[in-house]
Amino acid sequence: MNWKSYGKATAVILVLFAIGLVGYFAFSAAFPDGLEKVMEDNHVEEAEQVWTAPLSYGENWAGALIAGLIGFALTFLLVFLYLKGMRSRQKA
Amino acid sequence: MLLGEVNTHIPDGLMDPVVVGLGWAIALPFIALAVYKLNKKVDERMVPFMAILAAGIFVAQMLNFPVGGGTTGHLVGAALAVILLGLYGGILVLTTILVIQCLVFGDGGLTALGLNLLNMAVIAPLVSYGVLRLLKKHQSLAVPLAAWASVFLAALACGLLLALSYTISGGDFGIVASVSIPAMAGWHAIIAIGEALITTGVVVFISRVAPEMLEMGKNQEVKEAVV
Repeated sequence: MNWKSYGKATAVILVLFAIGLVGYFAFSAAFPDGLEKVMEDNHVEEAEQVWTAPLSYGENWAGALIAGLIGFALTFLLVFLYLKGMRSRQKA
Repeated sequence: MLLGEVNTHIPDGLMDPVVVGLGWAIALPFIALAVYKLNKKVDERMVPFMAILAAGIFVAQMLNFPVGGGTTGHLVGAALAVILLGLYGGILVLTTILVIQCLVFGDGGLTALGLNLLNMAVIAPLVSYGVLRLLKKHQSLAVPLAAWASVFLAALACGLLLALSYTISGGDFGIVASVSIPAMAGWHAIIAIGEALITTGVVVFISRVAPEMLEMGKNQEVKEAVV
């Protein structure tokens, strides 16, 4: 694969994500996931969290899209830069 | 509940501190081993591929899907990562995603990160890898079963950890075993079907449009299974 192919793959992933978010808000946003469901059914309250994160996943389509784009970029950069650094050390 | 409030991974304060420590103690050596193994030999071709796959799994994990009974599930992506990148690449990718989700988006507690890493970045990739190896001779089943088993067994582990927390703490943390284990196993047996369908769909698609990607993970047997 070349960089053009990776660019296409990125575009496809992000378009699918944007479309998937529509389905998410239509069918899933109001409901808990597996662990949350088990906690809810057993009346387990979530305790105060130790770390306050700077961002959230967003509360509507646009907010979630922005959160997703930020998460996508951060994850890509972190993995890419780490592996590139690793690769440079191998060559040295 | 709105997406902004969602905390889909283990939060702080749910598990007994001993179990929290156990999570870190087990997860970190596996992650260190994965980093060490990847350090020894990173394929240049895998660098952008791993980065895009990691980023793709990050956004895919945001998209919960309904599984009935007022419950949703989301892709973990461990089997997909292991199929495409191998065991150590899969562990590294899932670790990166979970750390970003925790530190940047508050998904999963900071103290519970070790447990989330254990379940989703260690157990799920190891199970995926094991099933793929085990089913070499039954290749058409390998991908969906690896994906299903990775989610089911990771969730079962979570149920066991909830039970262990309850027992150690005398009920102050966790959930009693008779409830936590069947509940986690039951819901995730269904959620894992979604994981299996999505993973198989993506792998079949990739095998059609870019089969060389499957070679990068050195899982040639998987490619043969789906082409």
